[in-house]
Amino acid sequence: MNANASCTLVTGASSGIGRAVAQRLASSRRLILHGRDIERLEETRSSCAQSETHLLWVQDFRDPATIVPTLEHLIEREHAAVDGFVHCAGIVHVLPARSTELDAVFESLNVNYVVAQQIIATLLKKRVNPGRLRGIVVISSIWSQFGARGHSVYCASKAALDGMVRALALELAPDVRVNSVLPGAVRTPMAQTALADLAISEQLLRTYPLGLGVPSDIAAAVQFLMSEEARWITGQQLVVDGGRTVNMSNK
Amino acid sequence: MNDFCVKLADILDVAEVKESDLLTGFSTWDSLSVLSIIAMLDSKYGLNVTAADLRNVGTVGDLWNLIQRKQRA
Repeated sequence: MNANASCTLVTGASSGIGRAVAQRLASSRRLILHGRDIERLEETRSSCAQSETHLLWVQDFRDPATIVPTLEHLIEREHAAVDGFVHCAGIVHVLPARSTELDAVFESLNVNYVVAQQIIATLLKKRVNPGRLRGIVVISSIWSQFGARGHSVYCASKAALDGMVRALALELAPDVRVNSVLPGAVRTPMAQTALADLAISEQLLRTYPLGLGVPSDIAAAVQFLMSEEARWITGQQLVVDGGRTVNMSNK
Repeated sequence: MNDFCVKLADILDVAEVKESDLLTGFSTWDSLSVLSIIAMLDSKYGLNVTAADLRNVGTVGDLWNLIQRKQRA
């Protein structure tokens, strides 16, 4: 692949869904791989096809003020033309509502939603990335639509992402398509704590008709939405959850 | 330890916790509490504690000792 080819920015690429998305897209796209941890980011890059062509963006999203300048600098330095953006970075803080503290709220909102809005704003600026952006996919969650005990902040942050997707789909049409993928429970490092609890994993297996997901299930959906085959799809939430959210069975 | 007890009391939705209180004795001790305590130990103390670790702990004081041990390790 040409080192001057257009790039797709994948956030959260050090692990889990982000890594799987990077691996899936790498065979046909040049990537900017974002993560906090340079070692795991390098591992992702090495595991991708055309590994020498992909760029790295090491950035902690918990401080929103630093994000735009570093992204602009990277794009300028590398003369990158960014035509795609997949937001996989995300965090979950499980806390009862009574224990919710402001720093946890802002951290979740910033990483899960605000950063996506900031990155999109940057990629739309003529001065930075003139007329190049074509497709955006954000990794939302089935918990943007449904509730879970101890997840009020997480649910709010994912609902914010989906609201953003619908508005942007209209504002940026026809040049840019914007969609969400809503995963159910996927085996990733982020979900590890919950899945390690026997009571939780037994409950999950009872309620997921197709069992738990793996990151490549989500990556496949992202690849489709980012491709020309999805050219007439925008503003949508694609639920990829093994049938969980339609399960109203009594047993 | 006092700060830890205040946070634990919030998670368990009680006015206060004492060192000798059995964790399983709280009516709010459930999978949500377990996950919330794990999250709190990670964000406030930088510790990686598993659900299995917690289920082996008896009292509030035992949990504090576990935190101390992990911090020293």
